[in-house]
Amino acid sequence: MIAQEKKPIEEILGYLEGKKKVVVMGCGGCATFYHTGDTKAVNAMAETLTKEGKDVFKMPLPFSIQACDIEKSGVWLEKNRKELENRDAVLVLSCGDGVQVVTEYMDEKMEITKAVIPGNDALGLVGGGPKKFKETCQSCGMCELGKTAGICPLTSCGKGLMNGPCGGVREGDKCEIDEEKDCAWVKIYKRMEKLGEVEKFEQMLDPHEWSKMKRPRLFEIEEPIGMDVIGAMKGMMTVKFGPKPKLDE
Amino acid sequence: MGDEVYSDLMRELKTGKYVFTGELEPEKAGDVNEPIEMARELKGMVVACNVTDNPQSFAYVNSMAASYLIQKEAGMECVYQLRCSDRNRMALLSDVLGAGALGLKNVLALAGDHVSLGDTPDAKPVFDLDSTTLIKLIRTMVDEGKDLGGNEIHNPPKLHVGGAAAPGAAHLKAEVGKVKRKINVGVEYLQTQVVYYTDVLDKFFDELGKVDVPILVGIFPARTFGQADFFDKYVAGVDVPPDYLEAMKKTKEIKDKEKKKEEVDRVNIEFFTGFLEHLKGTPAAGCHMMAVGYPRIIPPLKKLME
Ligand code: SF4
Ligand code: SF4
Repeated sequence: MIAQEKKPIEEILGYLEGKKKVVVMGCGGCATFYHTGDTKAVNAMAETLTKEGKDVFKMPLPFSIQACDIEKSGVWLEKNRKELENRDAVLVLSCGDGVQVVTEYMDEKMEITKAVIPGNDALGLVGGGPKKFKETCQSCGMCELGKTAGICPLTSCGKGLMNGPCGGVREGDKCEIDEEKDCAWVKIYKRMEKLGEVEKFEQMLDPHEWSKMKRPRLFEIEEPIGMDVIGAMKGMMTVKFGPKPKLDE
Repeated sequence: MGDEVYSDLMRELKTGKYVFTGELEPEKAGDVNEPIEMARELKGMVVACNVTDNPQSFAYVNSMAASYLIQKEAGMECVYQLRCSDRNRMALLSDVLGAGALGLKNVLALAGDHVSLGDTPDAKPVFDLDSTTLIKLIRTMVDEGKDLGGNEIHNPPKLHVGGAAAPGAAHLKAEVGKVKRKINVGVEYLQTQVVYYTDVLDKFFDELGKVDVPILVGIFPARTFGQADFFDKYVAGVDVPPDYLEAMKKTKEIKDKEKKKEEVDRVNIEFFTGFLEHLKGTPAAGCHMMAVGYPRIIPPLKKLME
């Protein structure tokens, strides 16, 4: 998931200066998870902006409809074409990806060019939960986990060293840069020790190949996932969260 | 490892002589006059001086430029410190070629501190290579005349590459594993982080076992209480003994400048007598004296090693 937090309202109001009629668009994906773009967040933002004298049109997206998944979120944009045409700005409560996908779709597919404003700050790919999350992968395009006992040296080490630890490990095996965090390289050592492969630790790892990080990266898949799959997913969820089936049935 | 010897430091290390190196710190200034002055004073006391590269990620005069000027003006051989921090592999390669072209003979490959710890914390952090891969790059450049991409280097640089070790590391086994990695890729000498405790040193040498690479142990006789206190508080992996800190603190109360100097020297000599005596019995090939701005302490400390 893409972790995110809300931008300070002062910053958003700055971008909206001179723009009276505003669409507030939500996101049913990660932004719903982090309460930065769910229906509640859309309502709260609409309320704040109304108090600030804006004329607001709310456009929340249902759960599982992600702003960045434009084939689906585009349906909501098309449905509200009239509103979008008449507005001064669209405030998107998603990560920066959602914001830009919406911008491009409106520009190129709908031929509606409006100021599109980010409501959140994206903080990276994270895992964990339900309350605490951790960034462990930066999607570098050339995974090294097979060499480092399953701990990413590029992301979990504060310096992203392929050969650590650096000389700065703190008391309690904490990172030089931030004593709240564990030193990734000591963790790698300890896991290798448990896996009985500590001799690997003395071998140099080659410098990481960054060529797959040539930005922006473009990507294509053979079989796109369509609306029918989303429908099926919803069916699955009812089963999962519904009453437990009796074992003897 | 090639057998060629390019520097006085390497020559002394190869002959098995007990080696002393010093340390110079370029500052945030438009000149290197002070380190040049210090280098002049240190001449004859140490075989070479490390020239620091933006320590703690505070931006100072570029260490290559400083090393070149110090060698030229003071005739002091330099150990050009080169951090991976803030330079990608292309910039590092280009810097090493530059160092060779300027006649620098020793380079110390370091990872370096993160920018967030220094005086430009909003800079984009860069760590492309690490100390081990930088050592490997330099050895490949010098020995094979090639860069990491296998491209030929015309008239390859002639310099020796050293690395660092941290005997007081919080996790000694992981630290030693990393030091062995540096040895595996051909590091030619090691200089350690500052050590104040003999048992820290002994544990490090025990864990490391016998190695062929000469090791210079880092000591830091402080010129002022502030310097010692800074090391204790802010330098990871270094614990300064409370007795020594206390004795240094007391010197702050002495009003008379000369008397204060004498007392500071006395405290250092008293503390290091035991330490250096112990050092003689370890596998260390020498001593890296990080007595920054404090050259007068080096002769009496060297004397203790005789
Ligand atoms: S090496 Fe790290 S950043 Fe790259 S894909 Fe693997 S986990 Fe992600
Ligand atoms: S302390 Fe460990 S995690 Fe932190 S920068 Fe150094 S090697 Fe990386």
